[in-house]
Amino acid sequence: MKKDRRDFINTCFRFAAGASLVGVTGVLAHKTVSGNTLWQIDTTKCTQCGRCATSCVVTPSAVKCIHVYDMCGYCDLCGGYLRPNVKNITTGAENQLCPTGAIKRKYIEDPFFEYEIIEDLCIGCGKCVKGCGAFGNGSLQLQVSHDLCVNCNQCAIARDCPSDAFSRVPADEPYKFSGFKTNKKI
Amino acid sequence: MKNKLILWLLVVLLLVVVGFMAKDLFVSKNTTKENVYEYDLKELRKVDPSKISHEEVKQIKIQAKELHGIAIDSKDQIYVSTDEAILILNAKGEKINSLKVRGEARCLTIAENGNVLVGMRNRVDIRKPDGSLRNSFLIPGEKAFITSLAIDGENIYVADAGQKIVHHYNIDGKKIKEIGGKNTEAGIKGFVIPSPFFDLLMGRQGELWVVNPGRHAFEAYNSKGDQISSWERTSMSIEGFSGCCNPANIAILSDGSFVTVEKGLERVKIHLPSGDVKSVVAAPELFEAGTIGIDLAVDSEDRIYVLDPVKSMIRIFEAK
Repeated sequence: MKKDRRDFINTCFRFAAGASLVGVTGVLAHKTVSGNTLWQIDTTKCTQCGRCATSCVVTPSAVKCIHVYDMCGYCDLCGGYLRPNVKNITTGAENQLCPTGAIKRKYIEDPFFEYEIIEDLCIGCGKCVKGCGAFGNGSLQLQVSHDLCVNCNQCAIARDCPSDAFSRVPADEPYKFSGFKTNKKI
Repeated sequence: MKNKLILWLLVVLLLVVVGFMAKDLFVSKNTTKENVYEYDLKELRKVDPSKISHEEVKQIKIQAKELHGIAIDSKDQIYVSTDEAILILNAKGEKINSLKVRGEARCLTIAENGNVLVGMRNRVDIRKPDGSLRNSFLIPGEKAFITSLAIDGENIYVADAGQKIVHHYNIDGKKIKEIGGKNTEAGIKGFVIPSPFFDLLMGRQGELWVVNPGRHAFEAYNSKGDQISSWERTSMSIEGFSGCCNPANIAILSDGSFVTVEKGLERVKIHLPSGDVKSVVAAPELFEAGTIGIDLAVDSEDRIYVLDPVKSMIRIFEAK
């Protein structure tokens, strides 16, 4: 059956209108879903590769080390605070593992020390997290700080993450700490 | 003719430009990015070979889901506690018996008369050499978590990591006292135990040696509960103990030196009675990274038995 030009143009317009409608609905649906979700790191998958510090579109990175105090052993010889093979366990810059000096060590009582992360200085490199996991009980954990994250549709760190540790989480449960009951930022 | 040539050149140029754009868009660049913040744990796992005094001479595979503890009796029979039973092997490593236990046998020790003392979460079972139950008693306290036992004649010492104390019982299950509680007047700082690793053993002169893992310390107590000696070595290098709480387990050699094993950096070392490191028995590279719960025992010829729960085997080390 041969179509005349008018029919052909009509069909094309209808098809274009339908496709546009589907497209707009899809985009709106995606925006609605991602509006209720946030990017977060699964700490059980994270390998502290360092890319959180370098791949984030926010400078410094929106990924920060967060200290789960309830899990911390308050160790004197803290693997997350001190460089390996330190001669003296002191707060001297030469003894500190953090490249930006973002961890503050405070004496509590013999032999306990508290370690506080200074968020403004933390670049999310994960060195301390690796040290804490290797020698301590893993109370230092990398998490996307939602005060800073701009919640990109396609997270640049998620794209670069070699262990696929980034995923979207519901906005009402925005943190994924491991080994601890609550998933709220402390 | 000239126009045609220019046209072709422009087409080629356009194709080249499109090619470059396509490559830029679709071909990913080298993804193996260097980690400028690398924390290389591999370096820490290396040990100078000249400091290694022992070599691995034998491995005995153990069939069990979980391995918890190892002990050796005066006949060099090997006892291994698992999640279900106590396995008894002869000196050659052949299984000769198996004792069923009520719960996970987390630790064990063998008395001079052959009695087998088994520690479960909050229960101590004393079994005769034939396996029959001689006595059993509970350690009170919701947090009770037994990690090690030692026996000296009629006296039983129980390391309770949950309550951070050593309980002194007699063999009939009567509590005599507690040892190692914080007492500043007596100069006892108290035990710091961030994770459930808290070991103890009897010294050569009847003194009780207890690890204070949070302080990377060894503390000796007499039968009255007075602290009579102590030493501590904190270091990530081989001179001391690393991490939040180490050594995780200990054993003693005939000359009074201590064999120690750590978690985090899985290394087995010998420390002199003074605390100074003597040598390395097994370097971290011999273990799977992240191995937790390695236990130790020593036989009558000072061979060191290392229970490797990840590889499910007993690994025997002899002096070179």
